Amino acid sequence: MTNGRRMVRLTIDGTSLEVPEGTLLVEAAKSIGVHIPVYCYHPKMDPAGLCRICLVEIEKMPKLQIACNTQVAEGMVVHTASSRVAEGRRGVLEFLLLNHPLDCPICDKGGECDLQDFTLTYGPGASRLTEPKLHKPKAVDLGPTIVLDEERCILCRRCTRFDNEITHERRLIVVERGHRSLIGTADGKPYTSYFSGNTTEICPVGALTSKAYRFRSRPWDLSHADSVCTQCSVGCNYRIDSRFGRIMRTYTRENPAVDDGWICDRGRYTFNYLYEPSRLRQPLIAVDGELKAATFDEAIALTAEKLGRAAQARRVGIIGGGRLSDEEAFALQLLARDVLGSDNIDYRASAQKYASPPRYEARLADIDDASLILIFGAVTPEQAPIADLRIRRAVARRHARLLFVGPFVPPAFVPSRHVPYAPGEIAPLMRALADVVHHGREEQGEGFVAEIAQALAQAEKIIAIHNGRDPQAVEALDALLDRLAQYDHPVGVLVVGAAGNARGAEAAGCVPNLGPGYAPLGRTGMTTARMLDAAARGEIDALFIAGANPALTFPDGALVRRALERVEFLAVSEQVMTETAAYADVVFAAASFAEKSGHVTNLEGRQQPFHQAVEPPVQVATDAQILAALAHALGKPWVISAEPAVLFSQLEKMQRPARTRSSRDPLPRPCVDDPVPVPDPASWPDGLTVIPIPHLYAGGGAAAHDPGLAPMRPQPFAVFHPQDAQQRGVADGTRVRLRGPGGEIEVQARTGDHVPPGSVLVLADMPEAPVNKLTNASGYGVACVDAATVTASQELSA
Amino acid sequence: MSPERRRKAEELAARYPRRQSALIPFLQYCQEQDGFVTRQAIRDGAEMCGLTEAEVESIASFYTLLFRQSVGKHLIQVCRTLSCMLRGAGELQEHIRRRLGVRNGETTPDGLFTYEEVECLAACDRAPCLQHNLMFHYNVTPDEFDRLLETWRASRPAVSLPAE
Amino acid sequence: MAPFEPVLTRGLGRLDLTDLSVYEAQGGFGALRKALRDMTPEAVVNEVSASNLRGRGGAGFPTGRKWSFLPNDGRPRYLVCNCDEAEPGTFKDHMLLEQTPFQIIEGLVISAYAIRAERAFMYIRGEFLEGYRIFRRALETARERGYVGPRIAGSDFSLDIVVHRGAGAYICGEETAMLESIEGKRGEPRLKPPFPANAGLYGMPTVVNNVETLCCVPHIVERGAQWFSSIGPPKCPGPKIISVSGHVRKPGNYEVPMGIPAGQLIEEYAGGLEPGRRLKAIQPGGGSSAAIFEEDLDTGLDFDSLAAKGTMLGSGGFVVMDDRTCLVRAALTLVRFFEHESCGQCTPCREGGQWVARMVGRLEAGEGSNADLAILRTLNRTLTGTNLCPLGDSIMPFLSSVLRRFPEEFETHVTQAGCPLAAEQAVAAGAGA
Ligand SMILES: Cc1cc2nc3c(=O)[nH]c(=O)nc-3n(C[C@H](O)[C@H](O)[C@H](O)COP(=O)(O)O)c2cc1C
Ligand code: SF4
Ligand code: SF4
Ligand code: SF4
Ligand code: FES
Ligand code: FES
Repeated sequence: MTNGRRMVRLTIDGTSLEVPEGTLLVEAAKSIGVHIPVYCYHPKMDPAGLCRICLVEIEKMPKLQIACNTQVAEGMVVHTASSRVAEGRRGVLEFLLLNHPLDCPICDKGGECDLQDFTLTYGPGASRLTEPKLHKPKAVDLGPTIVLDEERCILCRRCTRFDNEITHERRLIVVERGHRSLIGTADGKPYTSYFSGNTTEICPVGALTSKAYRFRSRPWDLSHADSVCTQCSVGCNYRIDSRFGRIMRTYTRENPAVDDGWICDRGRYTFNYLYEPSRLRQPLIAVDGELKAATFDEAIALTAEKLGRAAQARRVGIIGGGRLSDEEAFALQLLARDVLGSDNIDYRASAQKYASPPRYEARLADIDDASLILIFGAVTPEQAPIADLRIRRAVARRHARLLFVGPFVPPAFVPSRHVPYAPGEIAPLMRALADVVHHGREEQGEGFVAEIAQALAQAEKIIAIHNGRDPQAVEALDALLDRLAQYDHPVGVLVVGAAGNARGAEAAGCVPNLGPGYAPLGRTGMTTARMLDAAARGEIDALFIAGANPALTFPDGALVRRALERVEFLAVSEQVMTETAAYADVVFAAASFAEKSGHVTNLEGRQQPFHQAVEPPVQVATDAQILAALAHALGKPWVISAEPAVLFSQLEKMQRPARTRSSRDPLPRPCVDDPVPVPDPASWPDGLTVIPIPHLYAGGGAAAHDPGLAPMRPQPFAVFHPQDAQQRGVADGTRVRLRGPGGEIEVQARTGDHVPPGSVLVLADMPEAPVNKLTNASGYGVACVDAATVTASQELSA
Repeated sequence: MSPERRRKAEELAARYPRRQSALIPFLQYCQEQDGFVTRQAIRDGAEMCGLTEAEVESIASFYTLLFRQSVGKHLIQVCRTLSCMLRGAGELQEHIRRRLGVRNGETTPDGLFTYEEVECLAACDRAPCLQHNLMFHYNVTPDEFDRLLETWRASRPAVSLPAE
Repeated sequence: MAPFEPVLTRGLGRLDLTDLSVYEAQGGFGALRKALRDMTPEAVVNEVSASNLRGRGGAGFPTGRKWSFLPNDGRPRYLVCNCDEAEPGTFKDHMLLEQTPFQIIEGLVISAYAIRAERAFMYIRGEFLEGYRIFRRALETARERGYVGPRIAGSDFSLDIVVHRGAGAYICGEETAMLESIEGKRGEPRLKPPFPANAGLYGMPTVVNNVETLCCVPHIVERGAQWFSSIGPPKCPGPKIISVSGHVRKPGNYEVPMGIPAGQLIEEYAGGLEPGRRLKAIQPGGGSSAAIFEEDLDTGLDFDSLAAKGTMLGSGGFVVMDDRTCLVRAALTLVRFFEHESCGQCTPCREGGQWVARMVGRLEAGEGSNADLAILRTLNRTLTGTNLCPLGDSIMPFLSSVLRRFPEEFETHVTQAGCPLAAEQAVAAGAGA
């Protein structure tokens, strides 16, 4: 691609080539297959020119030049393999090896280390390095994920630059100077970035290594499978590296349009739960209230019988899909509709209502050149970390404005503007905005309306990001975007999914009123809330929940618990015992994404294939296999294939119309329940509004059981405004009980100015302290601090 | 940040087009008050400039006149570079080390004297030279040093690292 | 030819030029009035260009050329005065700072006017606390008298000068490291391009000039380019302060016409060597420069003549070593200096510098080997010219030059496991002192 840039002709090692003006020599050489070694240079970061390994000879220049910061010029003649270059490189390698420990045989990087490789290719032959090595700290515990060997470090600063230029977190630093320089953090504080694992990949040597991978394998012993992370809805591409059928590590597999070459630590490290005792390795059937090991056939037979009987009475329901593959989500709705004859199917096991924007669908890459990013509801650093890196870059390096509308100040590593709006006020705000923008009276809006409206009116390209929870706000946003689009503002919307494949499930037809490909059915079954309500009232006899954990994630926790207790038969398909599976009569042991193949659809609607990396344990089946077996047992074996490829070809056909529709035609929307108001804090003595907040490492499934994530996992906590805390005698760090109409949870108290007075932020999706005991269907709740716990914990700490 | 520090931070920041330029002067000011750059000073500096603590730590650790540990009431910095070497800096250094019973970079057990060998102080024509609390002393012979030492002992200097 | 009259140091040592009235009585601030009243900024730039003034900070870059590189794009421009003097053997700026601060201020204001700088920065080495105080006081006085601040000397030109004290780092004398340092960062040299003229302080077009360079400017304005360029060699003319130290009878700063032969400087200005001593080596241009020797005494002290000899005038730090000098030890103090002052960004300087210091340290301690010498003889090939900034390229020149000229002195350190001179001197002095 020339991007309209002028082309420059030059010669590298005798080959003449033409590249766009501004191209760096390293990249120009790469384009014709000439390899120039680099350490500090990284294509995603600014050239730093530190390591000096990339020296090349340029005719008419007296000194060797660095290829990583030299731009091509017309007529330039470059030599990358002359004797002068060889000498220069040898020199640099010699300097680097001077104090480098000779521990390659026990180094995790051995086999993929650039120092090792370049030394073999370009390095000093007969070594004159008899110099005794200088010593620096080894095995420095940098934080929960990373170990640092300062002796191996060649101070290329890729890690610190990553932490600065890419994550903008600026916590990894160089301290001291000269050859005393060390990589570190302030005061030795743990390096806790959500992106820490990437530094182990970009570190060209074995200085930064993953605790999870230390001494586990050698690169040449690994098998690779191209996969996609499903821990959140971004869908980063990664590779699963395994050895003897066991996953050893995951590794980036750059897709510039999605992940730009990075993955977050949640994605990178969530796989060891598969090898924990808590992993479900065979189906379970409840006998006298206790789950006991059973065979797959027994579990299928029992489930088929119960579902079949309930279906005949039109008293069956199916929940799930957001954590299945596209093929399996498709199969799940086949089970509901074509096997059981019911439209009671819904992937929505949390407060999320929509996973796809009906119009103005944006791509992740649209963030890159957005001039205004408007976020409400979603907390991207926690829920879509790799997408958040794009946001950070747009703001920090391309001067996009970041507006966050919502009840609390979210974590931000780049300048942002927080516009405080209480839960439930967002929809009216969007309407007001649409109104003033429509009439071109931006400056006349009241309060923050004017500010936001003017920002919108001035923006050249607007990306709105939300969490699809508030149907009215989403509707109003749509109207607002219509107005803006009229004035030729490119606009786009991204909906952050609550589950990794929420959008895939929606597109596969796991909603009561839409079939695969968003095809309107003209009829509707029950939503999750209605199924649960019906179950709680004894109007549904059998529920099948596949890859969903509503007991923890559904906002009206009291309702879920009543429903799951009451329903006559509950079958759950899961990888680990979850809060939901604990209620089940039958639990299927399901395969993980690493153990199967298929497709997933990320938040921007990109359908991506992933490939099986390892075999599941013998008695573990994929959800497709489970669903096919159920169809078979229910007498309709032709409806559901166990083969992803077969399912995919069926699904793909049905999805094609939606994909090829004109962008002006809105996608049909999943049906939603009537809105439930946010509880009034005054309705509860000493009440505070409960606002659940997401956390990257929260969750009751894999995350709760993965030993790799354990050190990063937060304890349940609640954050009070300092004033509220003081009034209630709550001190930072004490344990308190929060009591609401639906139940109580115990959390650690924190205080923070970013909490609106009268509210309390409570960590969501923590099995130890489920916030849905306090919230209602609106997603918000009310609670007070149990005074007894305050005094008790104060005595404890005293 | 204490109100006084905040006032100083604002005063320093006002001198420059960008706040971060005032970071080093600010740390010098904190150092003058506390005897070295304390963790609190790092935190205050970060707050003042919108930096992370880590960044301030990285910056502070670059400069040899910003001390991360407390120094003696008398900071004695003796030049060790060529011109001074040619005119007896080696002998002077040996004398001081013996006299104070410390090595390069150490502080006497009573916390009074910190001894450091430093690079060319741009006073090579009056070699060997040293700085005592950043004040120059020229043509310092071992005898002259002993005389100086007596006057320092007798005095009670307020600051070993003046900021302004 | 008329005898050379000191220009930059006129009256120093005799008069208290830190007193504004004394400075004014000597004609001080006359050039400032002239420039601001009678000359356009372009005219000042032209005059300085015509004078062939070359930067006194070390690189000898033509000042007028540097000034004319600034893009005309409406962005604010900055002028930075480099008073971070820390080059071993150099102490001229230190003197100018403490003894004639108004001359610096006058140079700063005129130069800022010439390049249309919005603000000027005076970066003073952290160790120069006394000088810093003197300069701040002088600046206050100048401000009160209207030489600095709004509408200077009744003209339309306004300038604020910000005084910034360093905090201990030789490398901050390098201009881009200095900009980083003023921005409140680690003083690490920047990767070039971009150059300061385009993206300097705060990303704006910036000129960095040495103290002595700026001090020349008022005299050029007052007495004309013609006068200036007639002093010394036409390609690098003007008065030059040479800091003489080491084994001479009268060490000190001497202002001489550019191009004066090294021998003449030693004999006529610095009092010659101590009786009975013989010259061994001279480092003519600061710690970064290669040595010259007895046979080079007629070399002119100017940028071009010294470059022709494979060394440089650099900052004008002229260190004389007589026959008592152990060159291994001399080299050691310098390579240690660079080891200590390396910012550590780039590999050769950081690692190589430390390696060289260890090898020379071993030699000096009598623990060196022939292998060390063999390596030292080749290292200039990979350690020089491969670095991000000139500091790394400065590690080897002096060492290589003396190793080449006095190989046996280094070899004896190996064969006799120590310094032969130390033994000699111990005998001569009747005990080591
Ligand atoms: C390591 C290093 C240290 C330097 N130190 C100084 C210094 O202390 N003072 C100075 O004026 N220039 C110093 N320079 C030169 C400056 O980078 C710059 O060239 C100079 O300030 C420009 O001013 P001039 O053109 O007036 O000479 C140094 C350069 C290097 C590479
Ligand atoms: S730890 Fe690795 S990435 Fe970081 S500076 Fe050292 S070698 Fe480079
Ligand atoms: S951002 Fe989401 S998809 Fe990407 S690696 Fe992290 S959890 Fe996985
Ligand atoms: S040459 Fe030395 S001082 Fe210069 S940038 Fe490289 S490491 Fe730093
Ligand atoms: S890759 Fe070019 S200097 Fe490091
Ligand atoms: S060498 Fe000591 S002051 Fe210069």
